[in-house]
Amino acid sequence: MDKLTDKFIWKSLKEGDLKAFAVLFETYYPLLHSYGLKISQNETLTEDTLQDFFLYIYEHRENLSDLDTIAPYLFTSYKRFIINVLKKNQKLKFIDFSEEIIPDIQFSKEELMTNQETENFKNKNIANLLNKLPKRQKEAIYLKYYSGLKTTEISEIMNINYQSVVNTLHKAINNLKEDISILKLFK
Amino acid sequence: MKNNEYTAIPDFLEDDSFKNWVHQNNATDINFWEGWIYMNPDKKNLIEKSKDLVLGVSFKKEFVTKEKVALEWTKLESKIQTQKTTPKKKVRYLQSWTVAASIALLISIGFYFFAGNSKITHTTHFGEILKIKLQDGSDVTLNSNSSLSYYKNESRKIWLSGEAFFKVHKKVSTNAKFWVVTEDLSVEVYGTSFNVNSKKKKTSVFLEEGNIWLKLKNGGDKKMIPGNYISYSASQRAILEDTNIYNPIEKTSWKDGSLLFENISLYKVMERIEETYGFEIDFRDSASKNMLITGAVPNTNIDICIQAIEKSAGVTIIKEKNTLIIHKK
Repeated sequence: MDKLTDKFIWKSLKEGDLKAFAVLFETYYPLLHSYGLKISQNETLTEDTLQDFFLYIYEHRENLSDLDTIAPYLFTSYKRFIINVLKKNQKLKFIDFSEEIIPDIQFSKEELMTNQETENFKNKNIANLLNKLPKRQKEAIYLKYYSGLKTTEISEIMNINYQSVVNTLHKAINNLKEDISILKLFK
Repeated sequence: MKNNEYTAIPDFLEDDSFKNWVHQNNATDINFWEGWIYMNPDKKNLIEKSKDLVLGVSFKKEFVTKEKVALEWTKLESKIQTQKTTPKKKVRYLQSWTVAASIALLISIGFYFFAGNSKITHTTHFGEILKIKLQDGSDVTLNSNSSLSYYKNESRKIWLSGEAFFKVHKKVSTNAKFWVVTEDLSVEVYGTSFNVNSKKKKTSVFLEEGNIWLKLKNGGDKKMIPGNYISYSASQRAILEDTNIYNPIEKTSWKDGSLLFENISLYKVMERIEETYGFEIDFRDSASKNMLITGAVPNTNIDICIQAIEKSAGVTIIKEKNTLIIHKK
């Protein structure tokens, strides 16, 4: 069902249907806004780049390839878009020449539920522990549990296969569990 | 799905009935999985892993509000519309004007630079919004038909007529104050963001964050906390309004290029349009005055603005010289 609507919305957008574009905007703006904030830590920049990004999509709609699911495409291209802007803004500070870009996501205490469903994670330090995880694990955690994306979608965004996403998530959760049990030992 | 074979993590992970068991949501699924686990003791490890992955980490998801999304959409939509309707020639024409204007601006800035402690004034016309960065780093957005001035060496004291939104940069080292002075009162702040509107022979202040002091022209003063909205008129020597506003976007959305209305009568909406674009309003029937409107309209493009109002209120609006004539469809 989901796939059909995504496919339909995308096709209508390519034909220049502004209403379809409005639906797409309403659905993905909040998700991309949070994602942009996580990458840039800057609200104005996030909002400005989102305006430019969506405008870019609309202007180039005729050249876009067909899609079955929209989320991976939007997340991937917006990530590239905002990171390019960040790089331009701080030309000198960025000495990362690698082609692959992995944002370093930071979580705050306020964002985490105090009442975690996983019994072990009911811990005040969970945000700190999350922040100490490797970048890829944090990104997977964010996309899965914050953005609520499907594992297949995450695999497209992170450019790894399905099993690797599962492994990455699993490693992250195990790391957290270990850290928490160590913390408990010292109490 | 229950007849599936469950042999690897993905089989569990994408299975709704498994998720229901993990979250203890559905009695049938809970029963099924309890039984399944009992029958398949060798899969215990797999189940544990999959359960961990389904539960994961729980976030308090705070996404931008619907109002904000609507606002951003209006902005984008008007950009798309103007690109559609503006022929290329016109763009070039505009660009050359922009160049000329910036040269003029550079010259005038240069002039002020040499003139020492001169007074700097920024003025906006109807349907125009100006963003200004002051020397101390504070940001001001000046609404249409307004003017703002300050002395070059004293940019933390601002005279305002009309409406502006301030985001004041806090000076931690010196704790220097920031002043906004209108006909009716002055606002005294350290670092905060707030909206001041001195149109219609009164001054209304809305505080978004931080706290500020109002010094009224009659000598009184008043402390404001975030969410407060206070109107004071010096000519009437009275506070006209003193309330709390829970939806700040209503008072400050104009600075991002649109006016936001939530269940507001068309009459009030048109008052705001009158202020913003400088058109006179002529209602041809009284029924449409009381029509309630919810939505966002751009405040720098009168044509799109009219279209949006026509659509949401079901009225026809005709632009005739300096007047907007409104009647029922």
